[in-house]
Amino acid sequence: MAAPLTLLLIVAVTIRAVLFRSSLAELISARVEVVSPLNAWKRVVEGLALLDLGVSPYSGDVFHETPLMIYLFHFTVDYAEIVFIIADGITALALYLSIQTYNKDVFRKQKYALESDRYSADCLELLRSPKEMFYIPLKVAMFYLLNPFTILSCVAKSTCGLNNAIIALFIFCTLKGSALLSGILLALATYQSIYPLTLFAPALLFFLQRLYIPVNLRRSSFWFFTLQYAFMYVGSLVVITGLSFFLLGSWDFIPSVYGFIFSVPDLTPNIGLFWYFFAEMFEHFRLFFSCVFQINVFFYTIPLSIKLKEHPVFLIFMQIAIISIFKSYPTVGDVALYMAFLPAWSHLYRFLRNIFLVSCVLLACSALFPVLWHLWIYAGSANSNFYYAITLLFNFGQILLVADYFYAYLRREHHLTHGLYLKKKDGTEATLVLK
Amino acid sequence: MDYYNLLTTCAFIHLLVSIPYAYSNYVENKAGQFFSSGHTNNWAVLVCTSRFWFNYRHVANTLSVYRSVKRLGIPDSHIVLMLADDMACNYRNPKPATVFSHKNMELNVYGDDVEVDYRGYEVTVENFLRVLTGRLPPSTPRSKRLLSDDRSNILIYLTGHGGNGFLKFQDSEEISNMELADAFEQMWQKRRYNELLFIIDTCQGASMYERFYSPNLMALASSQVGEDSLSHQPDLAIGVHLMDKYTFYLLEFLEEVHPASQANMNDLFKVCPQSQCVSTPGHRTDLFQRNPGSVLITDFFGSVRKVEITKDTINLTSSLKPLIQRSGSGDMQIESLTYVDQLPVAEIIHQKPKQKDWHPPDGFILGLWTLILLVFFQTYGIKHLKHIF
Repeated sequence: MAAPLTLLLIVAVTIRAVLFRSSLAELISARVEVVSPLNAWKRVVEGLALLDLGVSPYSGDVFHETPLMIYLFHFTVDYAEIVFIIADGITALALYLSIQTYNKDVFRKQKYALESDRYSADCLELLRSPKEMFYIPLKVAMFYLLNPFTILSCVAKSTCGLNNAIIALFIFCTLKGSALLSGILLALATYQSIYPLTLFAPALLFFLQRLYIPVNLRRSSFWFFTLQYAFMYVGSLVVITGLSFFLLGSWDFIPSVYGFIFSVPDLTPNIGLFWYFFAEMFEHFRLFFSCVFQINVFFYTIPLSIKLKEHPVFLIFMQIAIISIFKSYPTVGDVALYMAFLPAWSHLYRFLRNIFLVSCVLLACSALFPVLWHLWIYAGSANSNFYYAITLLFNFGQILLVADYFYAYLRREHHLTHGLYLKKKDGTEATLVLK
Repeated sequence: MDYYNLLTTCAFIHLLVSIPYAYSNYVENKAGQFFSSGHTNNWAVLVCTSRFWFNYRHVANTLSVYRSVKRLGIPDSHIVLMLADDMACNYRNPKPATVFSHKNMELNVYGDDVEVDYRGYEVTVENFLRVLTGRLPPSTPRSKRLLSDDRSNILIYLTGHGGNGFLKFQDSEEISNMELADAFEQMWQKRRYNELLFIIDTCQGASMYERFYSPNLMALASSQVGEDSLSHQPDLAIGVHLMDKYTFYLLEFLEEVHPASQANMNDLFKVCPQSQCVSTPGHRTDLFQRNPGSVLITDFFGSVRKVEITKDTINLTSSLKPLIQRSGSGDMQIESLTYVDQLPVAEIIHQKPKQKDWHPPDGFILGLWTLILLVFFQTYGIKHLKHIF
């Protein structure tokens, strides 16, 4: 599989290099769907320029990157394009290797389950074979590298690509079983933007499953491992934060980065749900509503972890999707990351109910975003409601996609244990409903 | 007969000799007149404060005065024209790109070369006062500044809707007569004018110059307190009143003035008597130091270049000697006057940016790479160490 992967990498690098050299690069870097105030490249350049002039880069609400990013870009600002292409390559490679490991894991578990007769008799067609699973890692890498969203995000030099690389490396280390590296990379991902904090739960569940520790809150072994992992995670987070303090010698970056993410002061339109609502809100409700909106991201972790206890990798997929829908400044780069996982669940296709609707909605909204932006800002014949409607529809499509896959996954699990052709008590065909 | 011939010859010769003498006298008188006013440059600030289509006449008023002032010699660089709304390109203008002052489209005061400096919503009380006092941000372009000095004669023309003691700007804010008087006092203290002529064409316009207290101000208004200034004539094709009465007759008066004209302020005071204007125009000259009869119209409305005729050689010294300071008791120290730099060019043009000299602290780099090495060895085992050492 090395040769197709290399070919894919070459094709992806070529596309990105071609686009970097063309005039589209500046056009794309200014699109609000692709860059947000948190990860725009021109803000990085501004921050570095401020630093060269002797001023703290966090003064003036321009620069919202973390100090480690300052360190990285201080030396590579002239080679930024190469950095982002390499980041995309790392992400694809990490996803490829992790899905490969996951597939091996899935197949192994399936073998054990078959041998221990946990599957019912008539669900043979639901079982997965290595033959069908052979090309899935390549498809995952392809879905990530050749996704127009990823290409746009890379050409715009949005640091979302770097965030995606860190999350992909975290997934890789988790699936390989190294708790220390996984904790460190998760701390790095959380340090970049706070939302990957919710990925702590699936990673923990994965390790517990791997080490055969039952997920029982009353057992001391559970707490022992949880505390170890939490210690590694929190410890590395503290170390990284302390290190960033030493870079600039001040704690300015905390209100500038994390305060900015939580309090959402910048209401530039993007593909998220925050801007429109907060633009028209009275000041004295702002704290309440920002708390409500932010809790929405973290809220689904516990219920989903309880439901998907035995399927931590699917939980990772769902968490990433929820983060990219509900975070305060989403961009299409975040969307591209969880879309890369979709080939891994291609066996669920027969159970997906809304896939046609969802794909039409997502395609149409992606096409309409620039149109309505033009109508609103340049032609003046639309207003922000039009753009927000498309934003809402896009997020609705995403939520429907995630919910659909959730339903399909759970339905397949149910069929595996209870048989494919379910019958109600009186013998007629039954349908499964997700409650 | 000889005696008669001799007399005529003598008279003729005497006449011949005296003509150049009389001529030079005339020239010197003219030259003397040229320097009677004491100003070297002219500025005009023309403001229309009303918006909306039905206030067409105020824009036409301002543009008529602009036209006269330009015709008489003041260049666009010395005129600050503030129009609160765009009548020429208004949707309701049946003759786009024109603003007429006489009905039946006799005179288009908009023309091809109108330069509006403050337009639309930029015409606010704050901007007007900032223009007058010169307190503008350094990024303001020259065309939006009143760069007058202590030898400038300034004409200020305001028109719009007003009342007793105030003038309405943009239908949403007002400037009071006290604010205006204080602005002029600031101008006087900063030596921003030599003499100032203030003309206002609004209802109860005389109330706006009641409170002036700075020297060298002359003011004219179209109506007294308690009277309304009326508009002149509507044009049925355009559908609105084209001009106000006072400015209409002022325009007619100014059309007769040319740059060499000797018409003086007393003629200006007679423009638009009550029989023509229905309201009583007023004027105020008590703060003015010269006799209004000796003030030419072109001192304010035109920009007549001064020419000094001299037959002597003039020695140009390098700088003025500073006045001798009175030492000792220190009750008054006279210093040479310094003026505020109105266009601080050195601050506007940026200094060269410093070279890149920020580097991450060494401790940071050391700590970061030590940590990375530690993690590497922790995950992959100590056995790699022996390959390094």
